[in-house]
Amino acid sequence: MTEVSLLTSFWLWQFLGRLHPLVVHFPIGLLVIALILEFYSSNKKDQDFRSGKYLILLIGALSAISASVFGLLLKDQDDYAGNTLDFHQWSGIATALLSVGTFYFFHLSKKNNTTKLSTVYRTLLFFAVVGVTLAGHYGSSLTHGPDYLTEVLPWTSESDISGNPEFNLASLTTDSSNGKLNPSQIAGLNLEVRSIFAHNCFKCHGEEKTKGQLRLDRRELVMRGGKSGEVIDPGHPENSEMIRRLLLPRGDKESMPPKGKTLSRQEISTLELWIKLGAPWPANSNEKSIYRVAELAPRKPTIPRDDSGLTNPIDLFVNSYFEGKNVSWPSVVDDKVFIRRVFLDIIGLLPPPEKIDDFVADNSPSKRELLVKELLDRKDDYAQHWLSFWNDALRNDYSGTGYITGGRFAITDWLYESLKSNKPYDLFVKELVNPDKKSVGFIRGIQWRGTVNASQRVEMQAAQNISQVFLGLNLKCASCHDSFISDLKLSDAYAFANIFSDTTLEINRCDKPIGKMAGTRVIFSELGKIDSSLSVDGKLKQLAEYLAAPKNGRLYRTIVNRIWAQLMGRGIVEPVDMMDNEPWSQDLLDWLASDFVENKSDLKQLIFLIATSKTYQLPSVGIKNENDIVSSGYTFKGMHRRRLSAEQFADAISTVIDPVYPDTIRQYDPFKNSDSSISLHYARASLVKNDIFLTALGRPNRENVSTSRSSQANLLQALELTNGLKFNAVLESGSKKLLQHYSASDQIINELYKMCLGRPPEEAELKSAIEKLGTVPKEEDIQDLIWAILLLPEFQLIY
Amino acid sequence: MNKNWNRREFLQKTSAATLAAMVAGMPTSLLSSCTSPKIKAKADTVILLWMAGGMAHTDTFDPKKYTPYEKGMQSNSVLSTFKSVPTALDGIHFSEGLQSIGNVLNEGTIIRSYVAADLGHILHSRHQYHWHTCYEPPQTVAAPHIGSWIASQLGPKNPVIPAFIDIGQRFTVGEAEELKAFHTAGFLGNEYGPFFIPDPSAGLDSVKPPVGMSYQRFEKRNQLYKELIGKSPIGEYGSDYQKESLQRSMEQAYMLLKSPESKAFDLSLEPRENYDRYNTGRFGLGCLLAKRLTEQGARFISVTTEYEPFKGWDTHENGNSRLTEMKRQIDSPIAQLIKDLKQTGHLDRTIIILASEFSRDMMTEGRPGAKVQEQVSQPDIINDIKHYGMHRHFTDGCSILMFGGGIKKGYAYGKTADERPCKSIEKPIKIAQLHQTIYHALGIPADTHYEIEKRPFYTTPDGNGKAEMELFA
Repeated sequence: MTEVSLLTSFWLWQFLGRLHPLVVHFPIGLLVIALILEFYSSNKKDQDFRSGKYLILLIGALSAISASVFGLLLKDQDDYAGNTLDFHQWSGIATALLSVGTFYFFHLSKKNNTTKLSTVYRTLLFFAVVGVTLAGHYGSSLTHGPDYLTEVLPWTSESDISGNPEFNLASLTTDSSNGKLNPSQIAGLNLEVRSIFAHNCFKCHGEEKTKGQLRLDRRELVMRGGKSGEVIDPGHPENSEMIRRLLLPRGDKESMPPKGKTLSRQEISTLELWIKLGAPWPANSNEKSIYRVAELAPRKPTIPRDDSGLTNPIDLFVNSYFEGKNVSWPSVVDDKVFIRRVFLDIIGLLPPPEKIDDFVADNSPSKRELLVKELLDRKDDYAQHWLSFWNDALRNDYSGTGYITGGRFAITDWLYESLKSNKPYDLFVKELVNPDKKSVGFIRGIQWRGTVNASQRVEMQAAQNISQVFLGLNLKCASCHDSFISDLKLSDAYAFANIFSDTTLEINRCDKPIGKMAGTRVIFSELGKIDSSLSVDGKLKQLAEYLAAPKNGRLYRTIVNRIWAQLMGRGIVEPVDMMDNEPWSQDLLDWLASDFVENKSDLKQLIFLIATSKTYQLPSVGIKNENDIVSSGYTFKGMHRRRLSAEQFADAISTVIDPVYPDTIRQYDPFKNSDSSISLHYARASLVKNDIFLTALGRPNRENVSTSRSSQANLLQALELTNGLKFNAVLESGSKKLLQHYSASDQIINELYKMCLGRPPEEAELKSAIEKLGTVPKEEDIQDLIWAILLLPEFQLIY
Repeated sequence: MNKNWNRREFLQKTSAATLAAMVAGMPTSLLSSCTSPKIKAKADTVILLWMAGGMAHTDTFDPKKYTPYEKGMQSNSVLSTFKSVPTALDGIHFSEGLQSIGNVLNEGTIIRSYVAADLGHILHSRHQYHWHTCYEPPQTVAAPHIGSWIASQLGPKNPVIPAFIDIGQRFTVGEAEELKAFHTAGFLGNEYGPFFIPDPSAGLDSVKPPVGMSYQRFEKRNQLYKELIGKSPIGEYGSDYQKESLQRSMEQAYMLLKSPESKAFDLSLEPRENYDRYNTGRFGLGCLLAKRLTEQGARFISVTTEYEPFKGWDTHENGNSRLTEMKRQIDSPIAQLIKDLKQTGHLDRTIIILASEFSRDMMTEGRPGAKVQEQVSQPDIINDIKHYGMHRHFTDGCSILMFGGGIKKGYAYGKTADERPCKSIEKPIKIAQLHQTIYHALGIPADTHYEIEKRPFYTTPDGNGKAEMELFA
């Protein structure tokens, strides 16, 4: 690798490489002349030509070697590849070797004039000329194209050149006046365009030779453009570099094609029309986009019918899915498991023991629905739980980079109030995309002092974060170069980022400006046109409306999938940030999204629908290996077991043992807008700054958007739980508190099991615990018991 | 967010493949997620000695003409505020106060041509982020610290010693959030994150049972935990990875805390005489802890003089007197670290790097030709000794020391100009080369990467970092 870069970078090597086309003509001419002389003098014994031949062969051999070396230098700096190049290279090298051999044996035969030596010399000369002919032929094929000679021959069929004899540009032009072409017309136009490329451009912009890094033989390569940027601007032939170059007068050094026949007016018009129509390249044309692209438009499938008594539409869709997969419905979980699940999933807290007892004792058939509703109505608890999820996603935090130099703004107040008031999701999105002072922090991104990489300017951060969070779309690759993982282009990313900019952004590829200014358009341009003449505020207003419009099915599929994943441990689509991936049930996803929109984008209504479904109440499913959850052969069978999040764990300890975080270190006062002076005895972990304890348990530093957390434990986490100061302090104060209230070991054990696990200890458990505590419990023994119980999987998991 | 499964699956496969290949006696090139030929590791352990805050090269390892202080002197005439002293290497001088390190230079290499990135208006933590991750902040994904990359690629050397140990930095200081942003395993996952020991003399506390708990009680607590797990009715839900990884990690933590190796964290066990050689303060004791951990099988250790705005090497005034103190803190312990590791034979397989985020100069802020917003006012005429020193941030021409792990012994690489601007004039070396040189020493190939959000993220940007082979013996 080192050698190659040296070769391509040093000017002298580049220069010598470019001498190749000059030098090659010496061996061609000299070797052929030597052979002619040989024939001419073969029957003559005279020595007239000997010294002349000596010089000709010497120069011929030297120039053949030079031509080979220079050719190798040229190969690395220009964009040649493919079979023709290989043939050319090896026939050239063979010629050089043969010509050296020829000269050598000529030299020998000159000294001792034997027939044997002369024969060897003549044979070698003959093959050297064959070699130089082959090398010359392949070389000119590389330069002028393989059909350079044959295309002028009268018997070369003309019909090959115009790909489709039935193609009629005039008819398309007329038809297109009413706006649309039918699919077969599009396919025909596309075929014609590709035929034009193939016949006029492939010789330099194809697989074998890729001048200016541009290839026109595949859709994504055409769209990607070349060294000097994109060559077509879909919808705008007048802005397309390709058309500009085709129309340049012959002789202009940027004119295309640089030599050979120019394109006809008809051919250029065809390309213009094609670009004007958005450069369609149908997926079912002979090569497809290799990336799955999800439908953008909403879709509301009919709810499957079933007579088994299922009423929740989720269950009916799942029922039909189960039938297809031959999965039978297990019985739903019991009340104790259910109440713990919904408490943790909806408000992030453990159910108090008395609440569990009451719930179990309740005979009402609708008690589960009522419980879900009751929890959703606990506005502050709900908000303080979901705050963590949204803080991760909107990378909002009380501390972090950027604040120090005024390059970051918190949106906690806006977010908390939005969650508490259950702001409709469309409005929620609009207020983040087109923010006021309280919600501006999301699109403002994080600004570090000094200069930043072009792909991380705040406008690009806004484009990336909005795409990821709201659309489940990864724009990060495309913000530096055309994406290798989707059809997204650099220009798409810049056009989207440009909406957030008050000056037109200059496109940078891999942090280097490419001399092109960004357009202005939504990443899914079907959603609507942004008026680029508007101020940023005006553009954001338009963007917000387009994104939140019901026709943007992507936005709503993305959010229902996220909520589903929070409650079920896995999305209908995974990973949740890649909404182009295949869902395990397209119908369920589509229906949930459409239903969500019909219900005024009510997040609590969505949670209610999921949490009251029979599907949610199925027994939890364990996963042997973390990667099984995203494996392609995934079959949904029920909710997946999860670890408590850092916040759920801290809050659980705060409620059942002793506060992990005192109310005094709260970073946000959730009750500042309420009349009542509520004061908790602890602060919910979602309201405190990140620290070692929470970090170890998986709370991310919110420098980047984060939409899921790992359930995998690790050594550093275990060390924090084994001897971490914070955890230890709670064990100490908690055991003191217990001793103030209880004196007997079995009382303490019973109380701990009831508080932590919502049940009395089983006999064997009681026995082990009593052994530990003895009859007169000591503080440190109680600490150890609390520690052991809090680390039980039964406490640590949502199951 | 990231799913770890690619790497996990990979590690499972490769460790099986590596084993199989070892059994078959065949060489293997499967060790990393790359296609390049396997590099033979020259080192197993890395010690990074971090000179936080910007260490002026002309007043430390690359002294220029010395101009003693006098009232009314021209700022522009001052290149070094210390005398030069000879080192073990002919023709190479260090700044006065670094004699001990100079005396062991025959064991390593001095690089005098490190060129830090141009990141515009200086923010120390931002350059430190760049130095430690090889990427300029902000990034679209959370970039891992070099220690985390190494931990993820090589794992712990000794299973009970955390693979990445970070000694000396507290996160309660200014710019703490920015410091946290790179003291992380990022998308590699917390598993590979740093194990923090802010105060080396309290290092033992991190690896022993909670304060006040005897080892006997600690064992009994663990015993109780195991019993209760066995008796918990949740067993009926079968096995899953959350539960298993929790139990496995708890067991690992337990093993670490009761292992004999944990004694390495206990500095009081070091013979008094040697302890005193190291004890120049927190940094010196950090070096001692690094030595002890290296001897017990650590993988990556960072010891920092600690970054705190306007403290330590971050000299915005009184540069001369402040550096006298900084040199006192580092000179003896670093030299002793080299000597001790050499004596125990660990130096051969341990690569030690001393570096700073950038250098300092009295006049130039930023880089010659690419000057940035001035942050320190420096009078043209010095009338107060507090202005005598290198106070501006200078990014072109920083010194780095490297010892052990296959690095050349007694070698000087690169050069800076002898006149202002004292910038790199020979063999400029940048962060990606430096990182790959370290990775190379450890046998980690240049195209090592991790797939995050479906795209490859390399140890050095685009995998373009090239090891500087000239640094190796």
